[in-house]
Amino acid sequence: MSAINPAPGIPGLIESPEEAEYELRAAEGSVWTGTRLAIGIVAFAFAGLAFAYFYLRSANNDQSWRPHGVTAPTDIGTSIVALTIAAGALALLGNVRLRRGLRADWQVAGWTVVATGLLVVALQIWELTRLRFFPGSSGYASCFIGWAAMNIALVLGATYWIETLLARGLRLRRALVEEGATPAALSAERLFRANAEGCTLFWGFTAAVAAFFWLLFYIF
Amino acid sequence: MTIDSGRRPAAGEPVGDVGVTRPGPTRRPTSRPAWLGQHLGTAVVGAVAGYAVGHWLGNQIASAYPNTAGASGLNDTAVVLGLAFGVVGWLAGIGALNYPLAKLVGREPVTPEPQQGWMRYFKYSTDHKVVGMQYLVTVLVFFFTAGLLAMAIRTELLTPANHFFGPDIYIAVVGEHGTMMMMMASSAVVGPLGNYLVPLMIGSRRTAFPRVEAASYWFFAAGYLVILTALPLGGFPTGWTGYAPLQTQSAGGMDSYLVGFGVIGIGMILAGFNLAVTIIHFRAPGMTWNRVPVFVWSMLATAALLTLATPTLVAAGLFGVLDRTAQTAFYVTEHGGSQFLWQNLFWFFGHPEVYIMALPGFGIVAEMLPVFTRKPLFGYRVAAAGMLGVALLSFFVWQHHLFQSGINPDMRPLFMLTTELISIPTGFIFLVGLGTLYKARIRMEVPMLFALGMYFNFLIGGVTGVFLSDVPVNVTVHGSFFVMAHFHYTIMGGLIFALFGGIYYWTPKMTGRMLDQKWGKIHFWTMFVFFNLTFFPLFIVGLLGQPRRVFEYAANLQVWNDISSTGAFLLGASFLIFVGNVVWTMVINPRTAPANPWASNGLEWQTPTPVPYFNFERIPVVLNDPYHYGDPEPAPVADLGAGLAMAVAGATADPSTGLDPR
Ligand code: HEM
Repeated sequence: MSAINPAPGIPGLIESPEEAEYELRAAEGSVWTGTRLAIGIVAFAFAGLAFAYFYLRSANNDQSWRPHGVTAPTDIGTSIVALTIAAGALALLGNVRLRRGLRADWQVAGWTVVATGLLVVALQIWELTRLRFFPGSSGYASCFIGWAAMNIALVLGATYWIETLLARGLRLRRALVEEGATPAALSAERLFRANAEGCTLFWGFTAAVAAFFWLLFYIF
Repeated sequence: MTIDSGRRPAAGEPVGDVGVTRPGPTRRPTSRPAWLGQHLGTAVVGAVAGYAVGHWLGNQIASAYPNTAGASGLNDTAVVLGLAFGVVGWLAGIGALNYPLAKLVGREPVTPEPQQGWMRYFKYSTDHKVVGMQYLVTVLVFFFTAGLLAMAIRTELLTPANHFFGPDIYIAVVGEHGTMMMMMASSAVVGPLGNYLVPLMIGSRRTAFPRVEAASYWFFAAGYLVILTALPLGGFPTGWTGYAPLQTQSAGGMDSYLVGFGVIGIGMILAGFNLAVTIIHFRAPGMTWNRVPVFVWSMLATAALLTLATPTLVAAGLFGVLDRTAQTAFYVTEHGGSQFLWQNLFWFFGHPEVYIMALPGFGIVAEMLPVFTRKPLFGYRVAAAGMLGVALLSFFVWQHHLFQSGINPDMRPLFMLTTELISIPTGFIFLVGLGTLYKARIRMEVPMLFALGMYFNFLIGGVTGVFLSDVPVNVTVHGSFFVMAHFHYTIMGGLIFALFGGIYYWTPKMTGRMLDQKWGKIHFWTMFVFFNLTFFPLFIVGLLGQPRRVFEYAANLQVWNDISSTGAFLLGASFLIFVGNVVWTMVINPRTAPANPWASNGLEWQTPTPVPYFNFERIPVVLNDPYHYGDPEPAPVADLGAGLAMAVAGATADPSTGLDPR
């Protein structure tokens, strides 16, 4: 059993390495659960949109669900979903490489995901300028605008998460090289890994959402 | 170079997204006065500046777009963007965005020295105890503001046809009162008591995501300001339920309603998210699930509802905002939308919301009963199961709010059944209380009085709820004061009584000061009597046909209305007794509270007062649940001194001890 160490800088607080380890594991677990809960939160928000879609579609009030079968520009929409799925897949692949210790691969994959995410957002905004319908012209049109707004927020959020991880990964790596494996650096590294796992899962979820709504808005 | 470029987290402060407590120097305290940093003042400046920018932008985007001018002639896009940018400015001003922006370049958080003094309550603090106190004060401000509006309502209803206000102002006041109260009530316990007490009760030094927790509070406070703007913007005529098509047609105050609910909703999600993860992962070694205090169970069930039900409200609000600004037609039937869509989405959130408000109240009283009866909690597992059961079932009852509208009549029996089903786990929780009280020698201290008052009131609220779930009764009394009386009995009579009980019970821990008990008893009895005097007559006028949200009523109902109004004014006065008690015992004549005034076994009472920055000098090892009252020689609840000399290193080896935090 290790000795209990005074915590420098915090008068009166002493913390044993066991305590630090205990809390580190709690923090890692928190990232695991937090990711799943975050996915649950976003899923319920999008479930609201899906409910709106099916509710308005089945009600077809005033025969105005989707007059003349008009859709949003399919080419742009398909590009968006393809890019989002590609980003999700790339995030997954990058994480597999990271697990194997190939950090540079993960960095390359990650920055590509960031660029793809930003491209998706740009495309989604551009698509809004190319619509062949007025936002309030039908139930479909309304749901589509809602989808575009929510998707922009979702993709931006996922992109933010991976970007911050990448930036942190770079600093962490430099610290590890320059300072060696200090306890602080090692715990930061473990949390970083836990976050990378969570972020990958979140990107997978983002891709699944994109695919699901693509089916709703462009296929069915 | 260090991993954090010289910005080391303080011990106990998180590293990165979620952190680990570890020793480390804090940033050296500077000699800069506290008011020079970021605080409430800079947040207000940020909010005003943000509003101005957003409003200007909205006018640039949409001023030539006549359709976005609502009934009041206000440009809704400008109002919505003004409010949204105002919230961003508020968050930037308080410093909530510093770290999220610094993260973009990979920075680790800068953590100042743990702050002392009253200024810390006006700052963005990641100390869960400070956040709890911030919430407590804001909840009370929310409550008293909405309470004043309630007095205005009851003043108008003093006479059937002589008016203090016109109908427009009346409905605006009713809507504002209801919305503010609901917003307040959804965080009334989770915010102050949940944030403050849960880490102490589970033996943790911190919450899982301290910055998320802090952000939840600043969203909550922003929501208060946003919903207040509804009044100068002309109010909203829909009441707190915001039904379309009125929602799409009404004045700028409706924008405040939608943005306000969105902002409060985000705060609720963040608060629930942080609490749920904290409870799951930050329980001290030995705090197995069957030792978790029942209040913490109630927080967990509530957190689940907050995180999963509220996103639907935020999405529904977004659709409403889009209808009013981008001219979509989600809720416009003539263009392929449906006003019933709002009702469904709103109540999909709204009914779990009812339990978001009820469960914490039950948690508080169930936590207090064993202390004041000196008996173990009767049916501990039943209580925990009941709370989770209620939480789960609450997702399946929302359509009972649509019995009169937008529902296929064939679906009514199903939702009548699910609604009646939910009374079973609710009844469990109730029976747990009664079982604990059975043959007990009750100590009639102030918190206990509030607990008993809560049971009495909730019984009336709950039984009338079972009546209302019955379709024929519902069809008869829907939209009347009967419904109004029912939910005031559950929320005001249940949650608010429990909250005040909790305040009397835990303020000695939270503030180190004891509220005066004699005045506390006077507060309780006046509040109890006048609450019933205010709301019981409303069942009667409701059954006699008085509709809610209408400023006139039949002349023969005046007597009951006058009784209710008199009760309401006296009820308002009873809160002045509470305020006086707080001011007297906290400010004018402060008296140090005993360390454990109620002789509770709870872990939170084992910490020193004031609670140190890190709560527990050593992470405690929990040995027992806190309900072993009446045992001649109860085993200690926790080992606070030996620290994790315990087998933490091998925690995973023996899962039965609950030592593995994962
Ligand atoms: C201080 C004591 C209170 C009094 C005297 C009071 C009085 C009233 C009255 C008379 C109305 C109905 C007006 C009408 O429909 O014409 C009302 C509505 C309402 N109250 Fe209260 N109330 C009080 C506290 C609360 C509390 C604590 C809550 C919830 C936490 C609450 C939530 C509501 C809601 C949601 C409505 C419905 C508003 C609507 O119809 O949209 N009230 N209140």
